[in-house]
Amino acid sequence: MLLANNISFYRNNNIIFKDVSLALPPQKIINITGANGIGKTTLLKILTHVLIPKKGNIFWNGKNIKKNLFNYYKDVTFVMDKQTSNINLSVIENIFFWKKLFSSIISKKEIDAILDLLSLDNYRNTPINYLSNGEIKKLELTRLVIEQKKLWMLDEPYIGLDIETINLLNETFINHTKSGGMIIFSSHYVPDIPNIENLQLENYAQR
Amino acid sequence: MHSVNSILALFYRELKISYRNFSDILSILMFFLLGILIFVFSIGPNTEIFNEIGIGVIWTLILLSNNLSLRKFYQNDFNDGSIILLHMSGLSYELIVLIKIMIIWIFLQLPFFIIIPLAAILLNIELPNVNLILISFLIGSPILTSIASISGSMNLLNQRNFAIGSVIIMILSIPIIIFSVGIINASEEIVRAQLQILIGILFFFLAITPWVSAACIKLAIQNK
Repeated sequence: MLLANNISFYRNNNIIFKDVSLALPPQKIINITGANGIGKTTLLKILTHVLIPKKGNIFWNGKNIKKNLFNYYKDVTFVMDKQTSNINLSVIENIFFWKKLFSSIISKKEIDAILDLLSLDNYRNTPINYLSNGEIKKLELTRLVIEQKKLWMLDEPYIGLDIETINLLNETFINHTKSGGMIIFSSHYVPDIPNIENLQLENYAQR
Repeated sequence: MHSVNSILALFYRELKISYRNFSDILSILMFFLLGILIFVFSIGPNTEIFNEIGIGVIWTLILLSNNLSLRKFYQNDFNDGSIILLHMSGLSYELIVLIKIMIIWIFLQLPFFIIIPLAAILLNIELPNVNLILISFLIGSPILTSIASISGSMNLLNQRNFAIGSVIIMILSIPIIIFSVGIINASEEIVRAQLQILIGILFFFLAITPWVSAACIKLAIQNK
C-alpha cells in the first residue's frame, strides 16, 4: 500500500501544489488529472523519490521510502514521459538489457508473445533510431511486463498510442489490479476501467 | 545477487554502445595524431628540440583529446532519463559513475597505448623515454578519465556553455601534467618519487570522483 501524507512542492519559492495526500491500496488505480503545468509529472517524480518534496512523507507498506529506498524500488516500475530505451541498441537488445538489469525471470517465449501482441516483432533487430514515436512508447510499456513489479507508475501512458494498443493497455491494467497490483498514472484521458479514482490536482494548486 | 546482475547488465550495455560508436574513438585518435603532426610541421625538422619537448607535446595532446570525450559520460543517459531507470534498478549513482569511468577508460584510453609509441616515432623520442611515457600514461589516464567524469557531471544542467567543461578539465589536470612530464627530465632517484606522487593523485581522484559525480548528478536531476 502506498501512502502519501501532505506533500508540498515548491519550485523557486512558487508553490506547485500543497498538502496532497493519497492512499493507494492493492487492486486500485489512481488517475492524476489536471491542466498542463499543474505538476502531474512532478507529483509522480516525488512519489518515486526522484524529486524530493519540501514537506510531507511517503510510505510504502508502512515504511518511509526515504529510509528504505532500494526496498521500495524493488516494487516499483516507473514509465517516464521520456523514452529510456537506448537509441544505439535494437529493440530486442533493449529488452534483454532491461530483463537482466531488473533480474527478471520472464521467459523468451513470453517476450516473443509481448512483441507479437504489440506488433513489434518485425522490428526486433531494428535500432530505436528508426522506430516511430508510438512504437518507442510501446517498447517503453513492455517494461511493465518485464519488470514484474507490484506498483506501476506511468506518466502519460496513452500519448502516441493507437486505439488497439490503448485497449490492450487498459486490459493489462485490469489484469494487473485483479492480481493485486496497484497503478498510478497521469493522463488527460480517463479510461473506462473499474476501481479507478480521479485525483484532481487543481484542488491542491495555489494560484 | 540482484545488483551483481544489474552491474553486469549495465557493463554489457555500455560496452555495446561504445562498440557501436567506434568511429568516435577513431576520430579522437585521429585528432591526437594530427595534433602531433601539426606540432612537427610548426616546429620544423630539429630533432634535438623534439627530444626535449616531445613528451610535453604528447601529454598536452592527450589532455586535449580527453576533452573530446566529455559529452560521452552522462549527457545521453541524463537527457533520456535512463540514469533514473538505472538508479531504480538498485544501483547507486556512485556505482553507475564507477562503471562509466571503467568503460570509458577501456574504450577511450586503452587505444592510446598503441598510438602513443607511434606518436613517439613521429617526434623522434628515444626508446627508454617512450617506456616512461607509457608508464606515466598508465597511471595518469585513469586520473584524466575521473576528471572528465567530474566535469561531465558538473555540466549536466548546462545546455549552452560547453567550453566551461573543458576549462574545468584543464584546471584539474595541471598537477598531472607537472608530475608526468617531470619524469623525463628528473634524475633517476626522483623518478620513483614522481611516480609515487602520481599514484597518490590517482588514488585521491578514484576515491572522490564517484561521490563528486554522483552528487552533481543528483543535483542535476533535482533541478531539472
